[in-house]
Amino acid sequence: MGLLFDIFINPFVEMASGLDFLLQVLWEGFVSGTLYALIALGFVLIFKASGVFNFAQGIMVVFAALTLVGLHALGIPAFLALILAVAIMALLAVTVERVVLRHLVNQPDIILFMVTIGLTYFLIGFGELVFGGDPKSMITEELGLPTGSTVFDVFDGIVILQHLDVAAAVISAIMVAGLAVFFNKTRIGRALRAVADDHQAALSVGISLNQIWAIVWFAAGIVALTTGIMWGAKSDVSFALQIVALKALPVLILGGFTSIPGAIVGGLIIGMGEKLFEVYWGGLLGGGVEGWFAYVIALIFLLFRPQGLFGEKIIERV
Amino acid sequence: MNVHSQAAAAQSDDGIALGADLLHVDNISLSFGGVKAIQDVSFDIRKGEIRAIIGPNGAGKTSMLNVINGFYHPQEGIISFKGRERRRMRPYEAAAQGIARTFQNVALFTGMTTLENIMAGRSLKMHRNFFWQMLYRGPALNEEMEHRRVVEEIIDFLEIEAIRKTPVGQLPYGLQKRVELGRALAMEPTLLLLDEPMAGMNLEEKEDMSRYVLDVNSQLGTTIALIEHDMGVVMDLADRVMVLDYGKKIADGTPDEVQANQAVIDAYLGVPH
Amino acid sequence: MLYREAGQFKTSYQADQAAFPIFQDQLAVWAILAVAFIGVPLVGNDFFLNSIMIPFLIFALASVGLNILTGYAGQLSLGTGAFMGVGAYACYKLTTIFPDVNIVIMIVASGFFSAGIGMIFGLPSLRIKGFYLVVTTLAAQFFLEWCFIRIAWLYNYNPSGAIEVPQREAFGVILTGASATPVTRYLLVLSIVVVMTWIAFNIIRGRIGRSWMMIRDMDIAAELMGVKPLNAKLSAFAVSSFYCGVAGAMMVFFWLGAAEVESFDVNHSFLILFMVILGGLGSIKGAFMGAAFIWILPILIRAAPGWIGIEVQAATVEHLNFMLIGGLIIFFLIIEPHGLARLWSIGKQKLRVWPFPY
Repeated sequence: MGLLFDIFINPFVEMASGLDFLLQVLWEGFVSGTLYALIALGFVLIFKASGVFNFAQGIMVVFAALTLVGLHALGIPAFLALILAVAIMALLAVTVERVVLRHLVNQPDIILFMVTIGLTYFLIGFGELVFGGDPKSMITEELGLPTGSTVFDVFDGIVILQHLDVAAAVISAIMVAGLAVFFNKTRIGRALRAVADDHQAALSVGISLNQIWAIVWFAAGIVALTTGIMWGAKSDVSFALQIVALKALPVLILGGFTSIPGAIVGGLIIGMGEKLFEVYWGGLLGGGVEGWFAYVIALIFLLFRPQGLFGEKIIERV
Repeated sequence: MNVHSQAAAAQSDDGIALGADLLHVDNISLSFGGVKAIQDVSFDIRKGEIRAIIGPNGAGKTSMLNVINGFYHPQEGIISFKGRERRRMRPYEAAAQGIARTFQNVALFTGMTTLENIMAGRSLKMHRNFFWQMLYRGPALNEEMEHRRVVEEIIDFLEIEAIRKTPVGQLPYGLQKRVELGRALAMEPTLLLLDEPMAGMNLEEKEDMSRYVLDVNSQLGTTIALIEHDMGVVMDLADRVMVLDYGKKIADGTPDEVQANQAVIDAYLGVPH
Repeated sequence: MLYREAGQFKTSYQADQAAFPIFQDQLAVWAILAVAFIGVPLVGNDFFLNSIMIPFLIFALASVGLNILTGYAGQLSLGTGAFMGVGAYACYKLTTIFPDVNIVIMIVASGFFSAGIGMIFGLPSLRIKGFYLVVTTLAAQFFLEWCFIRIAWLYNYNPSGAIEVPQREAFGVILTGASATPVTRYLLVLSIVVVMTWIAFNIIRGRIGRSWMMIRDMDIAAELMGVKPLNAKLSAFAVSSFYCGVAGAMMVFFWLGAAEVESFDVNHSFLILFMVILGGLGSIKGAFMGAAFIWILPILIRAAPGWIGIEVQAATVEHLNFMLIGGLIIFFLIIEPHGLARLWSIGKQKLRVWPFPY
């Protein structure tokens, strides 16, 4: 009975008795959810446009952030470093297309997926070789990002909002809106969707696969850079991010692999759910449940709705 | 041939006389969301006959086969096979009851050789447990060899000895279709569903395939349901023909009757509105 | 000229389906076994046995396990590390509870525990396919890792959180623990690996292996041929996890001597996956080639600067290793998606017709 009480009643009592704390927890969940959503967004972009499940997205985030910080450390002014970092992501996109993807047209998805795991390892090694393996701090102030915080009085208590978090949410929203327009309203967007459906068919109607892939990897690179900056500003820039980046996978499951709104909603659900669970229920299990909560939620979710929140129902044909 | 006599023996076991109803489909309706793939179709397949299902593209022919072997579950209607009624069943249960199938777009196990593919058709007939499988000795080995012998007979029958150890992914289309037929035959089915077995073949390949279909029917006594677009082939092979159009049955009868049916001519040639 | 099958006529289907239909191959296999069982213990020093042969064999066995699941049954898994962990912790608990039972029996028995856990986490595979399955196996990975930390009972409430291998002997020979000789441990590992590989090979060429490959290649058609997806997928998960579990138990008991949760983290899952990819999906000998390649290459790279007299920082070498392995994975998938095993058989084909090109 005591256990049932601890599981089903007590956490809610705690929530109700400390509304300000609940809000704070939800806000923090929201912020980490935004970051998950951003990583998932990078996955979705590439998956939508090339059918490649890009395992390296997480490492691209780290790599982009490291590049930015590393360039700045060389004495390059922040904004120049930012532009250079964008250029390097473009270079990476073109290189990946030239060296890897071009040779793998029409290969089974699983091969493409494993290639990106290889790419992950390569980028880890390369990044550590060039920039060193130790954590670095993000050049938040130099980039002109706000750093202060505002304290709100609500429910007889306080909720603290970091300005940085607010900025992250706003920037993410702008980026998502931009991408949605890009995908749905432009000629390139249409070509991207055609490529995702069928490589050969897209080629046969005169779409340049190479160009499309480079563009979309570049777009994912920019998303990665943005994510890297936001994330780096909250904690350090280090390869430990890699494990956290894996959390984008359950987010994708929830949202569906091809849906941009799905990635956002999925990210927020996972981010907030995970924080709530850790704070209110984690103690029962001895803590540290953040490590697997997202995956288990995704797993349970999959059993009931294998196509994700926003995915289309799959009708199998023979 | 050994396999033929075995199969014939197996088929007389189910107690259904030649010419009696083997499969009965009553008032089947199937829809996907708002799309009605099959509407209120009833028909039967008699033991020992070659039954053709024809109709324009999208008429619901393949869906009908999918319903028969349990891949789709119709919203309404009853199917009875060998006198047993059922509403829902899984494809492997259909297989266990003796329904085999080939596919419109070849669905071979591309990573396996011809031999392994046809051996795969014997899955249901092999029973040795995990322990013997682990050792690959004694009963498991004997069983494997016994079935290999049957498979070799099928390979013989279909004249595909030369490609025995070739991965099927590397075979040309016509041969793939033949291997797929072989795989279905390996199941020693009571009812064999062939979904456009001659699609995309040239004249000679069609003739070969027609010969195999007739041989299977006459020598093994296997009942065959066949979807085909080549009317010449259908009229030559089939005992009875059912015509579907927009998910509805518009005609059913001998090839001659169907050929003369006005509704069928309209469906194929279009009616002036 | 020496490697020919001409003149070797098969007179029975049994001979045709033998493991090594070509006489020269049979000779080669016996020769390799002789070298492994007699030659290596005679000439190998402790470093060679401890740091190269034992881990190589253990990882090869884990690769065989993952290959069964991913290469033969087509279910991609990133939970290998955790399943190895289940084997290790199970073996540790078993030998704590039953200290008198022979450790080899315990190691095999621990495989059943990981097989059970593997089946539980394999259940979603009935509804979930492809990349989605990756997430469920990651759920297994992280959830089990968490268990290895939080459930103190698993490591006997050891304050360091590690499992330490106790000394166990049988017939007067010390098998595990610090005083067991490398040769003993090597021979034990080798024996288990050889037997289990032989069994894996048998399962794969029989009915069960075929049902896995049917599910992998075309699950719909497989079901229409009477294969139950439930049986095929769960048996693949069970057998695969059994192999991984035994490999994990051996890793701790015959190689590391002590282990913490880090020994079974997601990076190990990747490591084994790389061995499988590089060796060739769907090939048992590929699993061995891949394991050898990925395990031994970094050792060579670490040693190489010393040989040519250059001082390179250890960290730099590690980074180079990462780059190299990642690069090789990409390279192999582009050049030959079927891995080393396919290259090997292409080479053999060339040898068969030598000196003619065709």
